Amino acid sequence: MQMALIGVVFALILAIGLAVVRTFKVPVLNQLAMLFISFFRGTPLLVQLFLLYYGLPRVFPILINMDAFTASVIGLTLHFAAYKAESIRAAIMAVDKSQMEAALSTGMTSSQAMRRIILPQAARIATPSLMNYFIDMIKSTSLAFTLGVTEIMAKTQMEASSSFYFFESYLAVALIYWGVVLIFTQLQVHLERYLNKAY
Amino acid sequence: MIKVANLSKHFGDNVVLRQIDLDIKEGETTVIIGPSGTGKSTLLRCLNFLEHPTSATITIDDLVVDANSATKKQITALRKKTAFVFQNYALFANKTALENITEGLITVRGKSAVIAKQEAQAILKSIGLADKQDYYPSALSGGQQQRIGIARAMAAQSKVILFDEPTSALDPEWVGEVLGLMRQLAKQKQTMLIVTHEMQFAKEIADRVIFMDQGQIIEQGSADMIFNNPQDPRTRTFLQRVNQ
Ligand SMILES: Nc1ncnc2c1ncn2[C@@H]1O[C@H](COP(=O)(O)OP(=O)(O)OP(=O)(O)O)[C@@H](O)[C@H]1O
Ligand SMILES: [Mg+2]
Repeated sequence: MQMALIGVVFALILAIGLAVVRTFKVPVLNQLAMLFISFFRGTPLLVQLFLLYYGLPRVFPILINMDAFTASVIGLTLHFAAYKAESIRAAIMAVDKSQMEAALSTGMTSSQAMRRIILPQAARIATPSLMNYFIDMIKSTSLAFTLGVTEIMAKTQMEASSSFYFFESYLAVALIYWGVVLIFTQLQVHLERYLNKAY
Repeated sequence: MIKVANLSKHFGDNVVLRQIDLDIKEGETTVIIGPSGTGKSTLLRCLNFLEHPTSATITIDDLVVDANSATKKQITALRKKTAFVFQNYALFANKTALENITEGLITVRGKSAVIAKQEAQAILKSIGLADKQDYYPSALSGGQQQRIGIARAMAAQSKVILFDEPTSALDPEWVGEVLGLMRQLAKQKQTMLIVTHEMQFAKEIADRVIFMDQGQIIEQGSADMIFNNPQDPRTRTFLQRVNQ
């Protein structure tokens, strides 16, 4: 849970940055962003987590002290930032281009126009898909146990193997995830209703 | 006084504007007419640097901008002196009618929210939309949206307002109120440069009419001269066609 919450904030910030870089086609950064997005969308999260936690410290010894929790947060952040960046970019493109021109024509800078006119509208358009990624992210925290983080899955496994109640234990985990996701789905419904009321 | 010298615009190999020279006197209403694809919109957009001219020297009062050496600061200064009214209104969808007007006053001109609001309300009142100040664009008719678009340009108190076919996206029922507002501005001696296909309106409002064809100014003069006694055969052909 904590993992998903920390990850969601960082992923969002990174994703907005990537999306803006892609939208303005900032030289060099745009190519790097494309590579980043392509890699993190094109490979499985599990592989990315293993690469980050077991692979990278071999090459960069400084990373050897990185604990499994940090690695999981970073992995989830990077992975979902790549997805979110694309949905934010699509949302930016969906905002009528003439509003950008209108803003510029009055003398606003492009970053003022982005912040005050375009991004608020893009946020509204992107919210449903961003919420879906957030829910995905909550579910994906279960993969962190493969790195040895004793999150809910890991605890259950230990519990189950000592008690032999495999079905009951894993069913309980499923129900917990389901419950959490249901709560966030409700939040999503309210958020969308609120955003649609605005204008 | 606005002076445009040697304005050219190329899109790749496509030469859209060829060495346009243009003077606009303060308080004058100038109307540009001409066939589709001739570069009328591109000319207006170049004056506001929404398109960067391939070459041009634009002088407004003491501001001189050369397209080849224009700095960001100069472009912003030029944009503050040239307000734009768009064919499709281009209102900020996430802002109310009032906020559409105050936005530029606050972010670009650094006015306080209170002052900006007072000025915007005064303008809304003068154009008969005071009761719509808290409406979002989506809740306004096309005619009301375009009048807010014009109000946004008025609030900027720029030297000239550039209109690119302000009524051609409107349902016929709303055209009248927008033209009415433009008449009101002409009466107040607001300097305007208008691209339009409304010939009747052009005849009536223009102090000066410019006929453009294929990226060049072919002929210009009073409305009477251009509409009743055009000299160039291209002008005559065009007017015959639109009068049919
Ligand atoms: N961004 C652009 N990139 C490439 N070519 C362009 C661009 N904008 C305009 N053009 C070209 O420039 C020419 C002039 O277009 P412009 O829109 O200025 O004509 P116009 O006189 O306003 O026509 P209309 O009366 O139909 O609005 C056209 O051939 C058009 O294809
Ligand atoms: Mg045009």
